[in-house]
Amino acid sequence: MKRLVLFLVLTALVLGVFAALTWWVDPLGEVWKPAAYAAARHDGCLLSEELVGNRYYSFKLAVFHARPTRTFVVGSSRVLKIASHPGERTFANLGYPGTAPSTLLSLFRALPATPVQTVYLGVEAFWFNRRYAIPDTNPSGYHVLEYLLSRSAFWTSYQQFRLLPYVRPPHRWRIATVGRRCTIARGYPAINWNPDGSRVWSWELDPKKYPKFHGTPFSAGLALWRNGYYDDWHGLDHARLAQLGQTLALARARHWHVVGFAPPEPAPLEHRLDTDPRLAPEWHAFLRLMPRLFARYRDEWIGLAVRCPASDFPDEFHSDAACSDRLRARLDEAARQLH
Amino acid sequence: MLFNSFPFILFFLPAVAVAYFAVPQHRLRLLLVIGASYYFYAYADWWFPALMAGSTAISFTVGRLLGQETNERRRKVGLAVGIAGVLALLAYFKYTAFAGGYALDFVHLITRRSFPDARHFLHGIVLPIGISFYTFEGISYMVDVYRGTLQAERDPLRYAFFISFFPHLIAGPIVRYGILQPQLTQKHHFDADRVRSGLLLFALGLAKKVLLADGLARWVDHYLATPGQLGLVNAWLSALGFGFQIYFDFSAYSDMALALARIFGIELPWNFDRPYRSASPTEFWRRWHVTLSTWLRDYLYIPLGGNRKGAGRQDLNLLATMALGGLWHGASLNFVAWGVYHGVLLAGTHHARRRGLSLPRPLGVIVTFVLVTLGWVLFRMRSAHAIGALYAGMFGAHGIGGVPGHLALYVVVASALVFGLPEEWRWPVGRWNTALVAATAVLFAVAVSSVYTSHPFIYFRF
Repeated sequence: MKRLVLFLVLTALVLGVFAALTWWVDPLGEVWKPAAYAAARHDGCLLSEELVGNRYYSFKLAVFHARPTRTFVVGSSRVLKIASHPGERTFANLGYPGTAPSTLLSLFRALPATPVQTVYLGVEAFWFNRRYAIPDTNPSGYHVLEYLLSRSAFWTSYQQFRLLPYVRPPHRWRIATVGRRCTIARGYPAINWNPDGSRVWSWELDPKKYPKFHGTPFSAGLALWRNGYYDDWHGLDHARLAQLGQTLALARARHWHVVGFAPPEPAPLEHRLDTDPRLAPEWHAFLRLMPRLFARYRDEWIGLAVRCPASDFPDEFHSDAACSDRLRARLDEAARQLH
Repeated sequence: MLFNSFPFILFFLPAVAVAYFAVPQHRLRLLLVIGASYYFYAYADWWFPALMAGSTAISFTVGRLLGQETNERRRKVGLAVGIAGVLALLAYFKYTAFAGGYALDFVHLITRRSFPDARHFLHGIVLPIGISFYTFEGISYMVDVYRGTLQAERDPLRYAFFISFFPHLIAGPIVRYGILQPQLTQKHHFDADRVRSGLLLFALGLAKKVLLADGLARWVDHYLATPGQLGLVNAWLSALGFGFQIYFDFSAYSDMALALARIFGIELPWNFDRPYRSASPTEFWRRWHVTLSTWLRDYLYIPLGGNRKGAGRQDLNLLATMALGGLWHGASLNFVAWGVYHGVLLAGTHHARRRGLSLPRPLGVIVTFVLVTLGWVLFRMRSAHAIGALYAGMFGAHGIGGVPGHLALYVVVASALVFGLPEEWRWPVGRWNTALVAATAVLFAVAVSSVYTSHPFIYFRF
């Protein structure tokens, strides 16, 4: 019996050590680290994307709860530059890359029904392309357990633990400087998050050290352009439309005020969406359907209400702060009319 | 569910084992394990258990009828109906697409019509894992009852346990009811030594699978993806690597099956005994997948006449038995070719023996190992073109080529284990001291942490 117990205990112990090290180092960003976000808020720093990893969903929930949120924006990575006004504490940006109608529904269900919220909902046309694969931004406990017990993750963790002093206890991260801002980071903080959940590219703060991103041009073909989100697009996916409807219904049941919008497009690419025979039918169907859908739930749809010059899109996909500020002003105006 | 998966190791096995020993009544325990086994099977696809239940019902009912019936003619008809019943399921799910595909190709050749709907239907037939194994178990039960070497089972619970018991359900060993029946009549009390012994063997099996077989698979798959580019050294190392990979993969599964059954107080028959140490093809088949080779011997080769009807007929019987054995592995002509190849080797061995020819044992081991390795090419490569390309490489048609370092290292380690140590189920794990138990626990933890990237067992396909 003693040797049986020894076998079981030792096995559990070794696996526990593997899991603990992987949990601590988390080389693939599968573990949500609330303390990193708390440290960023405490020190008035940004939070590097490296410490959020694939846990956008948990991060954005934490952003919501860390603030007296009354207004929030949701949507894809293209709404992430919509930020609070100076000194505004009641605004949160709950958008994240990989958002889709199904993730919106989960997020809305996880948020408290009260106090009443004003929601700015950025809807992407490509969400309704069946080919758009929704990444897992809220991994299950089982998935995380698999990761923690995985030998390859352990080995990577061990190598990082050995080489990088800032992942060794008592530290789990370091305070890095990007331009004139500090960020809670690991190795290379190329993307950072403000405490309100909006995003800051490091090249905005220190263009010499951090290179700008470049998108794949439209001429490369739909399979490559914008990660292939618009490729092989035939019709609007009914299941995803129904999920968006459920999300709006839930918001209506909670008496939330929702303003829907399509994230701004650079003029040349809006022209492509309007005229390219592979895209135009679905794009126009999307633009026709959204006002009707939002009206059904007595919500406001402002569509592509803000036009920004092409220079406001550093990678021809995501709008910059200037464009997003104009969009925020337009959303605030629409929300005032709703109230 | 795979033995080499987190759901099995972390949840299913501990839960079933704890519940098994917590339940006081023997029949409730049987029921518990049957329920768990059906759940284990349903994990692959929800409708698989219905198929297994159907096959179980056929063989159990026929067994009861054979046990009661005294009229020889009726007994023969009953046995034939029973075998046809369970074989029909196997034939439909495993061989319809194979036979239908060739039939459609033939018709296409004559009529130039392609029958896309029929082909679509054939491609849609899913092979339920484990069906080849429990079909053979059902047949052996019915035949044994018919022959009078086994009493027909009256208790459907015990019989359902025999067919569905999850350790041997998916990939064997092919258990005869005569081995399991006496073990199912008594309650097994918790025995820490036996459970420890089972866990240690399971740990060794898992390590063999995820560290050796999967490690070999990574390199073997890489090289064999382009057999036409392999030089002499690469081609031989790839073929040897596959020989070790399939051996470690399948023997690991068998070790784990034995180990799991042992945890529940049941001893299953062993399946492998370092087959690459065999000095002849005959000996190889007495050490490789033994529960299949003895099944083929007892239920196919001997009924066909075995060696009782002259040398020529024996050759034919061997070829037929091994060809069917090859076909059992998979509905594909390369498996038939592999079976026929081994039939020829076995027939050749018998002829050599009759003429008094024999090799010194070390030379016999080398020759047998090389012949078996050449046979694995037929088993592994699915097309005639790929088989030809690999053989061409092995015989130097593509030059000497470089040495694939990682694969060579794996082959050296595998050879040392195979030729230096006995088969793992023979290791006296029950008597191991604290240091060996502790070392195995560490090995087990490393193996468990490797299942995340582990491959399914090769024999799951069969």
